[in-house]
Amino acid sequence: MDAELPSHPPVYQLPAEAEVGSGPPAIEAQRVEVRYRDKLVWKDATFRINPGEFVAVIGPNGAGKTTLFRMLLGLHWPSGGALSVLGGPPRRGNYRIGYVPQRHTLDQDTHLECDKLVRLAYPGARWGPGKRWRPLQWGPRLRLQAERVAAAQALEDAGAADLGSRALGALSGGELQRIFLAEALVGNPDLLLLDEPLSNLDLRRSRELVETIHGLVRSRGVTTLLVAHDINPMIKCLNKVIYIANGNVAVGAPDEVLTSRRLSELYGFHVEVLHDSRGNLVIVGGEDDRGEEGG
Amino acid sequence: MSGGWSGIPWSWNIVTDVRLLWSFEFMRNAVEAGTIIGILAGIIGYFVVLRRSAFASHALGHTGFSGAAAAVLVGVSPVYGLLIFTIATASGMAVLGNRASNRDVEIGTVLAFALGLGLLFLSLYNGYAQEAYSILFGEVLGISSSEVAFTLWTSVGCLAVFALIYRPLLFASLDEDVAEAKGLPLTLLNLAFLVLLAVTISFAVQIIGVLLIFALMVTPAAIAVRLTVRSLTAVIVSVAVAVSAVWAGLFVALWTNYPASFFIVGIIFFEYVVVRGVGALRDTALLRGVEASEGEGVRSLRNAALVASVSQVLFVGGAALLVLSLLTDPGATGRPSLLYRHGYWALVAVASAAILGGASSLLYFSGFRKMATSSREFTAPTFLTLVGLLGIGFAAGGFALYLSGTALATSAYGLAPVAELFGIPLTLLGVTFAVVGLAGQAVGTWRMGLRYREGTLRAGAVLMILPIVGSGVSFLGYRRALAREPALGS
Repeated sequence: MDAELPSHPPVYQLPAEAEVGSGPPAIEAQRVEVRYRDKLVWKDATFRINPGEFVAVIGPNGAGKTTLFRMLLGLHWPSGGALSVLGGPPRRGNYRIGYVPQRHTLDQDTHLECDKLVRLAYPGARWGPGKRWRPLQWGPRLRLQAERVAAAQALEDAGAADLGSRALGALSGGELQRIFLAEALVGNPDLLLLDEPLSNLDLRRSRELVETIHGLVRSRGVTTLLVAHDINPMIKCLNKVIYIANGNVAVGAPDEVLTSRRLSELYGFHVEVLHDSRGNLVIVGGEDDRGEEGG
Repeated sequence: MSGGWSGIPWSWNIVTDVRLLWSFEFMRNAVEAGTIIGILAGIIGYFVVLRRSAFASHALGHTGFSGAAAAVLVGVSPVYGLLIFTIATASGMAVLGNRASNRDVEIGTVLAFALGLGLLFLSLYNGYAQEAYSILFGEVLGISSSEVAFTLWTSVGCLAVFALIYRPLLFASLDEDVAEAKGLPLTLLNLAFLVLLAVTISFAVQIIGVLLIFALMVTPAAIAVRLTVRSLTAVIVSVAVAVSAVWAGLFVALWTNYPASFFIVGIIFFEYVVVRGVGALRDTALLRGVEASEGEGVRSLRNAALVASVSQVLFVGGAALLVLSLLTDPGATGRPSLLYRHGYWALVAVASAAILGGASSLLYFSGFRKMATSSREFTAPTFLTLVGLLGIGFAAGGFALYLSGTALATSAYGLAPVAELFGIPLTLLGVTFAVVGLAGQAVGTWRMGLRYREGTLRAGAVLMILPIVGSGVSFLGYRRALAREPALGS
């Protein structure tokens, strides 16, 4: 890819081979406590996410998974403890973070091409008309070219190269998630926050999307946090799991955290983790006693 | 507005007509103001559609009504009252929150109160009926030169602000949560958008009125997004639809003495119906092909070409007889009669030709639809012939409407002009669609010629511009294809 585009600075540098666990941490939390409208969401979270790690954020509805993301984005402040993101305090508008929210404003009547959404998310050109319409600005063509190349690259990396000229409203759920992934990738982020990208996808599409995301984690070395309801589609790719339940947070390697003993401690009552013959997990008794955490 | 201008000497020469129109100052003002407002409404409308703020724009128009009424009561131009009231409402909506524009119940409550307030102001004023009428339905021919200048300079300011916030507003409209995370000031953008909307609505009310504001603010953009997925192209199309509708509406209004607002709204509505109808037709199951063998498709097309030839022979013969009747009529009543001598037979021939023409279009459609099962290249001819079928229906309906209008004219009902106003455009649209259908038949026949390497079919496709010959040659081509390809079965 780079060989074909020699005339402008590379959109991002490929790390030689992502070295998990080296360098300063991507996220560091020390005794973080968070409240939402004076109600305690969770407390006492101490963990460290290293650059290039692929992390799943798991927990029942309303446990505070999205709140964690909003804190990392600087949209919500912790009520106690210290949190650092990419070597600094969380701040709004950090272009080193790519974000895919759970809810979107789009619907079936959005007749706009996908490519445009991805390009709008490219950092920099925010105010005024597109750079194309500013003849006095130095190097407008180069800037436009960089945006176009970055968008094309992001679409390709998200496995959506052929969707660029389609209308947003005409896409299926799985295709739309790939466009959102490209939108998050276009600024070449160091940290990706994906909020429930697998909801509403069937098992096969979930696994395909996880494969794409895991490929990105390895090729771009981007630290990725993914909120999911079901951990099974990605369990073999994960470096860490952040499990939030009952106001507590447990962080560690999947086989450390996803045990009957750790989860029972977390929930404060007995929870059973069952394994099937193909390595899938079923957590019984965790979520409102309905036992539907598994696949 | 209506009445009083019937003395304008219209000709069929559009250039002199336009030059004549331009010599009236009120018409110049109307065209200038209409153009400026069309541009502004077309651009803002795109965001109204994207952000789903259609109801908010409707509500702003209604609060503008009380503003205009208050201004009339105080004795200043309604546009100032409109601006103050709509901008105040817009700011209130923005303060309530980003999604305030979607709070239907709150907005509905406020707009009802605003309308009531406007009613009170107008009853306090003496010239109640005339003012209410022009605020509710627009009075484009009453715009003064100073109002045009005010509209122009304010609009230039609005466009400058718009150029500045175009990209962030587009992003925030598409993906609010990501835009927020990226640090875009959502509340400020929402405020700026609603204030621009308020200003545009205040100006547009002068042209189209409070009640018809939707047609100019929302529908042009709704048409545009159906035609293109590119944002800049959509904005340009939206502006073009709005401006051309205003121009055409003004021109036709002066020509016919009916209100300009009606024609502007009518043209935009008609375009919307056509765009949506054609879009729905394209998505319909009718185009997905049917379970049929290729041989059945070719036989349907062969029959279609045969029926078309017979229909065209009947038509040409009937038309010739009609001309003959007209030419040989001694004119006992002073007028040549269509029905003299061979006239009845001629009419029977033309009527059967029309019925057979419809049947052949149906057969062409059915044949291409069967072919589309085997090859995707017949999807387009299927669609085009379907449009043609629709056109035949439109033309028949429109012509019937026109005839009933002329019949009503003799009994002096007020409905007669309505039937004519709708009948003639509907007939013209139907004829246009029917021509599209004929083009589809030609394209499909050409592709059949390529598929079966049959030169006669390709010749038939080219000759379709001629009556009788094209369908005749095509018929022979289909026969030869069927005879030569054993796989098709006969």
